[in-house]
Amino acid sequence: MTRLTIAGLEKRFDRTFAVRGIDLEVAEGELVSLLGPSGCGKTTTLRCVAGFEAPSGGRIEFDGSDVTPLPPEKRDIGMVFQNYALFPHLTVKQNLSFGLEMRKVAPAEIDRRVADVLAMVQLTGFEARYPRQLSGGQQQRVALARALVIEPRLLLLDEPLANLDAKLRDEMRFFIRSLQRRVGITAMYVTHDQAEAMVMSDRIVVMFDGLIHQVGSAEDIYDRPTTRAVSSFIGLANFLDGAVAGGADGRWMLHTALGPVACGAGHTPREGDRATAMIRPEAIALEADAASPDCIGGTIEERYFLGNLADYRIRMADGSILQVQGEAHAPFSPGGTVGVGLAQARAWLVRDAAA
Amino acid sequence: MNGLSRGKLLLAAPIGVALFVFLVLPYLTIVVMSFRVPSTTAAYAPGFTIANYAKALTDELYIGTLVDTLRIALTITVICLLLGYPVAFHLARTPSRWRGLLYGLVLSPLLVGVVIRSFGWIILLANNGVINQWLVSMDMPRVRLMYNEFGVILALVHIFLPFMVLPLVGAIQGIDPKLEEAARSLGASRRRVFLRVLLPLSLPGIQSGTILVFVLACGAYVTPMLLGAGRVHTTTTSVIQLLEQFLWPFGAALSLVLAVVGLLAVALYVRLSARWMRGLA
Repeated sequence: MTRLTIAGLEKRFDRTFAVRGIDLEVAEGELVSLLGPSGCGKTTTLRCVAGFEAPSGGRIEFDGSDVTPLPPEKRDIGMVFQNYALFPHLTVKQNLSFGLEMRKVAPAEIDRRVADVLAMVQLTGFEARYPRQLSGGQQQRVALARALVIEPRLLLLDEPLANLDAKLRDEMRFFIRSLQRRVGITAMYVTHDQAEAMVMSDRIVVMFDGLIHQVGSAEDIYDRPTTRAVSSFIGLANFLDGAVAGGADGRWMLHTALGPVACGAGHTPREGDRATAMIRPEAIALEADAASPDCIGGTIEERYFLGNLADYRIRMADGSILQVQGEAHAPFSPGGTVGVGLAQARAWLVRDAAA
Repeated sequence: MNGLSRGKLLLAAPIGVALFVFLVLPYLTIVVMSFRVPSTTAAYAPGFTIANYAKALTDELYIGTLVDTLRIALTITVICLLLGYPVAFHLARTPSRWRGLLYGLVLSPLLVGVVIRSFGWIILLANNGVINQWLVSMDMPRVRLMYNEFGVILALVHIFLPFMVLPLVGAIQGIDPKLEEAARSLGASRRRVFLRVLLPLSLPGIQSGTILVFVLACGAYVTPMLLGAGRVHTTTTSVIQLLEQFLWPFGAALSLVLAVVGLLAVALYVRLSARWMRGLA
């Protein structure tokens, strides 16, 4: 098992930065996702770790030894590509043997390891097929097997599920995750799909514009996002601007146009500072009576039935719109007034830019 | 329904007629001519014979010329492949905005007639041509650059290179660059990536390019005539000589021998190379 260290990584293409200073440590056997919109630098970071891109600055270390100057073939990595990148002129068996042959493994040993890994991805009996004779999900599993059979120090996955249909994608998430755990390999996973990142990762790295905005567990980035960008990328969020009116023990009072809101925060704001509170739609309670305690009145503009719950867009007194998720069969309909339990809602202070 | 409706047949009719009149008919004429009896006073004497073929297949002079022709064509094909592959690879993979221009440069030899291009080479390579004049001005001895196989091969490589590059570009463009990265991530050096991934996947392009150049080189006439100037003999130049001597039946037989031998060589090559392309479909 290998520990991966990325220190001060920078990558410039011509004059534009794709990655502008990234520090990250991935522990042995850990699966870390790089999550962010396209162009955020997550793929570039992965390609620097793989050795396909030469960093403009910074270092990549495996177990503390610098691999930055090494070409990809000397790094001992297993990589899974978005389009699988199986060799079309080779059979499944030959695809899987490729990396072992490059390592000059004895033929008998190759046969044994290929058979083992095929059993692991449940493709025994497919040895003689060519990639084009396999379904998307099967190709995906061959790609995974090809990366794992060489027993690399690091498994790198570049949006491996993006080309699969939704149902298969769900299955493969759990499949890849359990395989990674079973093999116990350190893995880095690039995705733009927040649900994928949340299901699969030990930790999630959220990136925007070449910078890391947050590193944390799924709960961390959903409940306690550091920046506005993180909170709106991961799920839905309401933002209320206001002034910090004091607080203690990590609870801060924010005076907003809709009244006071009690917030948690990961940093220490100063009293009087302008700040933004992030509130998840499901963290706001709706009451039938607009005059309920701790509630302020609002008018339901739209209601969308989602099956397990309902989405409401609520117009507040100051003209702003709040997104609220509530019980699917609650008796609220467009045009009606409701009490919005803002003061008791779970809120979190977010910053505008990465610290 | 066998898929050949009356409408489809009608659509195919124009090309069918054109092929028959301009390809099948002339070939039949050549075939018939090759069995005629030679004559010194007319195009041919009455009657039919297989003596022309007997001569074409036994006379050491013509056998030697045929072997030379195939050897020269093979040399040209190999040189075109070696020169063309890097060019094609670059053209297929370059992100440069000059790509269009590079394409144009590769194709540019096709824009000038083969006679003009051969004369261009004569100006460069002749005994008192540009290169030799420069050598003399530097007090160096003249080098014989044409009136030999070297000059013919050099000029023909130049002329046929686009026919090698274009199919190669097509084949290489069809190779996903991620395959190279996948191979390298699995521990393959650049050389291994080329031998194990790029080369096998380029085979369809290599096959069509080499066949095109080989066939064209077998049938080349103008350039061997001009740059060989009677000192380099290929089967085509022999055929033309025979035609000038009004030995049409023998010329026809000789040209058919070349065509069949060339065709057999290509067929054999296709069979052999198909074995290496099993996985590609």
